[in-house]
Amino acid sequence: MDLGDLGAAIAIAFTYFTIIYITGLGGLYSERSGIVNIGLEGMMIIGTVTGSWGTGFFTNDLGWGQPWGPLMGLLVGFIAGGLFALIHAVATITFRVDQIVSGVVINLVAIGLARFLSQLFFDQATQSAPGQPKLSPITIPGLSSLPWGLGSAFEQLSPMVIVAFLLVIPVWYSLNRMRWGLRLRSCGENPEATRSLGVRVAEYRYQGVLLSGALAGLAGAFLAIEVSEFWREGQTQGLGFIALAALILSNWNPIRLMGAAFLFGFAQAIPLRLDDFFLFSWAPPQVIRMIPYVVTIVAIAGFVGKVRPPAAAGRAYEGGSAL
Amino acid sequence: MATEGTAIPAVRRRAKPRWLEGFLVQGGALIVAFLLSLLIGAIIIMLLGESPLAVYSSIVTFAFRDADSFGQVLTIATPLIFSALAVAVCFKGGLFNIGVEGQYLVGMVTATWAALKLDFLPGPLLVIAVLIFAMLGGMAFAGIAGALKVKTGAHEVVTTIMLNGIAVSFLGWALNGPLKFTEEGVATDLRSDKFLDNALIPNIGSWFGIRSSADLSLLLPLAIVCAGLVWFLFKRMRLGYEARAVGSSPGSARAGGISIGAVQMKLFLISGALAGLVGMQQLLVDKGALVQNYEAQLGFTGIAVAFLGQNNPVGIVFAAIFWGVLSRGETALQIDTDVPREFMIVLQGIFIMTVVIVYQVTRRWAARRQLAREGDVERFDDSEAEIDESRGEQASGGGLIGGGG
Amino acid sequence: MNDADEAGRASASPLVVLDGITKRFPGVVANDDVSLELRAGEVHALIGENGAGKSTLMRVLYGMYPADAGRIVLRGQEQRIASPRDAIANGIGMVHQHFVLVDPFTVTENVILGDEDGPILDTEAAEAKVADLAASYGFTIDPGATVEDLSVGEEQRVEILKALYRGVEILILDEPTAVLTPAETQDLFENLRRLIADGKSIVFISHKLDEVLEIADRITVLRRGAVVGETTPDRTDKRQLAEMMVGRPVLFRLDKPESHLGDTVLRVDDLRGGRLKGLSLEVRAGEIVGVAGVEGNGQRELAEAIMGLGTIEGGSVSLGGSDLSGESTQEIRNAGVAFIPEDRHEQGLVLNMTLWENAVLGRHDDDDFSGVGGFLFIKRIKELASRLVERFDVRARSIDVTAGTLSGGNQQKLILARELETAPKLLVAAQPTRGLDVGAIEFVWRQILEQKAEGRGVLLISAELDEIYALSDRIVTLYEGRITGEFAPDAPADEVGRGMLGDVAAVES
Repeated sequence: MDLGDLGAAIAIAFTYFTIIYITGLGGLYSERSGIVNIGLEGMMIIGTVTGSWGTGFFTNDLGWGQPWGPLMGLLVGFIAGGLFALIHAVATITFRVDQIVSGVVINLVAIGLARFLSQLFFDQATQSAPGQPKLSPITIPGLSSLPWGLGSAFEQLSPMVIVAFLLVIPVWYSLNRMRWGLRLRSCGENPEATRSLGVRVAEYRYQGVLLSGALAGLAGAFLAIEVSEFWREGQTQGLGFIALAALILSNWNPIRLMGAAFLFGFAQAIPLRLDDFFLFSWAPPQVIRMIPYVVTIVAIAGFVGKVRPPAAAGRAYEGGSAL
Repeated sequence: MATEGTAIPAVRRRAKPRWLEGFLVQGGALIVAFLLSLLIGAIIIMLLGESPLAVYSSIVTFAFRDADSFGQVLTIATPLIFSALAVAVCFKGGLFNIGVEGQYLVGMVTATWAALKLDFLPGPLLVIAVLIFAMLGGMAFAGIAGALKVKTGAHEVVTTIMLNGIAVSFLGWALNGPLKFTEEGVATDLRSDKFLDNALIPNIGSWFGIRSSADLSLLLPLAIVCAGLVWFLFKRMRLGYEARAVGSSPGSARAGGISIGAVQMKLFLISGALAGLVGMQQLLVDKGALVQNYEAQLGFTGIAVAFLGQNNPVGIVFAAIFWGVLSRGETALQIDTDVPREFMIVLQGIFIMTVVIVYQVTRRWAARRQLAREGDVERFDDSEAEIDESRGEQASGGGLIGGGG
Repeated sequence: MNDADEAGRASASPLVVLDGITKRFPGVVANDDVSLELRAGEVHALIGENGAGKSTLMRVLYGMYPADAGRIVLRGQEQRIASPRDAIANGIGMVHQHFVLVDPFTVTENVILGDEDGPILDTEAAEAKVADLAASYGFTIDPGATVEDLSVGEEQRVEILKALYRGVEILILDEPTAVLTPAETQDLFENLRRLIADGKSIVFISHKLDEVLEIADRITVLRRGAVVGETTPDRTDKRQLAEMMVGRPVLFRLDKPESHLGDTVLRVDDLRGGRLKGLSLEVRAGEIVGVAGVEGNGQRELAEAIMGLGTIEGGSVSLGGSDLSGESTQEIRNAGVAFIPEDRHEQGLVLNMTLWENAVLGRHDDDDFSGVGGFLFIKRIKELASRLVERFDVRARSIDVTAGTLSGGNQQKLILARELETAPKLLVAAQPTRGLDVGAIEFVWRQILEQKAEGRGVLLISAELDEIYALSDRIVTLYEGRITGEFAPDAPADEVGRGMLGDVAAVES
């Protein structure tokens, strides 16, 4: 294995980082408002299928061309994910269905809904036509000239990767320096206290859940448009759950989430680019493919006692109005 | 020892048996959910330019039009019963076993190994051994999730889903390696060697005049027996009692001397055993070998059926059959209507979501009513009211971190 | 507070009039045509036992519940108060019995939440404002401190600051001294006097009659949702107030049975773990040892350590000579220990399960109730349940109702019945009468005294000094995880109070 492989692996890690991080940020908003969202995978799935449609529709059918077409595709995924998350929000906030049950159902529904939409959009149930339009990849100057092949990590990246890295700033700011963020966090820590001060808990939780769906949808659209360049059933490969694990690992902190997302992103890259690395070359290919899952399990099993979720997350809030 | 004040007899029999009332309430909720879902589905159908009445009637008639078709319905239902029971067993104890999918894949691998390596066993002993190995495989894999939960507190939702991914690779490895077919010069898709006849489960469809393309087998009565056993477990057995206590109020269960970890582990093992049987229909009735394009998603569908049946063994059997009817309806859609077959999956999703919501609403309404009618006058306690209000029902499940679920 | 001062300060026309308030909940009338007046500049005490409707009434005033009938008149004008925000806009603030503070947030963040100055937070400015506010009332509090780290008294001050920050004139305090030490209570009263001097008016909900007599200008008594009397401290006494609250003469002390002490039943030796920092005590057969202390000093941890529910990091717990530290809860119960938990919902009953299912919890393993292979003998269990319900007069329609429908008192009776049926060698009773009305309290006390009469040991852990005095043969004080003093049952309260604060007193016996 030469370092060029490592560079390529890092590039892939960046890509998966983008997916995991954006989804994780969505989960962050939802959980810190007090609603556990394990339906991120489903919301991501909706983003993949609608994003695929969007990019094709706007670029080709409407003739918007680069970069507006793919951007609209990403936006479509964002919006669709948010709308889909509305189901989870209504179920858990208004009807006080158990949050994990609702999340599981959301995932089940998403798979079916994606097939249905795919049939409508692409005339095929399980995939779309390959070669959809995507954003023009960019190469980062300076870093791409790193020696020993490491520079390849920074070549031909989707611009969304940069966006993902920069998202930490507005997210952190919104949570910690804005009134909105203070209120959102208090809904997740102590909704009774929040309500007693006249702040409507349901309102902020709805926003948290919708944001989580939108971000997961955006991540899904990114996956379908930028990475795979077409839609395929199952392409999310459990990344929604890996994002959850990253969230737990990061102790619900947007800055630490970056590290966790990159760790898991890199674990994804191993079977793809590092399978002839001496450590891995003796193992059969299927075992290598287990690595991302094993890494996730080890990570959350090891860190469970040491993290502190939002105190009220997972518990339905009984008081106040339902809406 | 009676205190002063008006004496109310301590125990007084109620007029209507409680279980009947619960049954009626649950049944009523189910009907409401059913109608609501049909309504939402009808709206979508109309948006697609078709007639809801035509679509729905074609679905129903297709499933029941002849014994063959209904046989197919039951065939679809059989593995789902095992799968949903596996989910329900854990759920009663406050655990979310999303890993039934992986557990049944592992069960298929171990069953295949047994079928091929234990072929010296005579007669029915072989098929029994195969079934046992299927259960052992599922148990072992579920046991991993259980151990992780009990020893580290890692939430089973994430771990079981990750284990599913591992199971897929495991099956792939097994099929490409130790279980790969050994026949020379045969052009075939990747699979294991074919099993001997006495590893298979006989198709009983012919007893009912059903063609063998419907894989109706002894697994169906076995599934129903399992449902009965699960019912018995939770109604009359100590483990079931302890599981319900743990699922409802882990703190009180602990204070009562129940070992939460032991209970959770046992639930995972039982669940895994049931999950292991999910793949047996395709393995031992249909294909007679482990094939590359095995039927997937049965674990997840099992979750859907479990919720539809409200985690009640009796409800699960009916929900599985109902699901079978709907799944057959997919074909009906293709043949009789212009609605894409994928609509059925959407309808199924609508059903699950509606049922879950309606049941939750009903449960809370019923609890409130029970409180009003049976609750003591002293029930309303100032300081406790606020606490109870905000704490709501004691429920299972919670955040993603948590000792005791 | 005496009449002369009061007359000078309080104006005659009422600030707040609650007129004919009725509030119903499913199955019960919590407030029945209640009328009450609050005058400006006064401390008005609202007393009654649990379930009398005092909190409900004030929550109606605070806009948390809509009244089913009646009206609210503020400063001479009828007002509609539909939410806490309305109440605050009208100058009414409320500090609840169970604090509603966001633990990981700072004092300032808790105070400004919901009334921030703008969409962007300016932490420095906000902290300065809070600091100023606190100083103007003589409150000592650090605006940048995290609430999690605060003492209970400090947390209470934050709650009061929340109300003051929003400019309230009328402050409702719901059982404010329930969680305070005697010294912290005096601090609170100081602060309240300062608030009154500043022109505020206070409604003080309490069931602690000594304190009410100390701080109140006027007292209104509620019983079962209706007003049964109104008086002033100089025209009444504790006994009369209690009688009004309950409707019959109340015994403050039951006759204690004679003590026949036997062998040591429980020995706790230098116990460490969590909040426990080297705790030692002993209970003998036929003895009730009362552990007095303000909540949060290790009471729960002590009970849990003995019952095998907590982690013991050092020291030991032995029962009748055998070391039980680290054993499972089941083993400990089998050794003859019974447990009345301080939180009957979290450690006592499974609310979703039926009464009979709860009746056997903890004994479901016994040969009597389950057989080989794990089968439950349901008939026998139901017989047990019927027996328990009858013996302890648990009021329920049948044994098939879910435990959640029982009142607090009946739930506690069920737990008592279940635990005492096993004739334990040691009874661990933690806050056994929390949230109960006087009738139920008396019942529980009688049961505990009976345990002593039968020669069993009782470890009573309670934050209510009345209870400690009423039952204990020996009193020990718990402070910060250690026993700080031992007292005779007739020791004066201020001495015991000092022990509760950590002043190590001489051991009297």
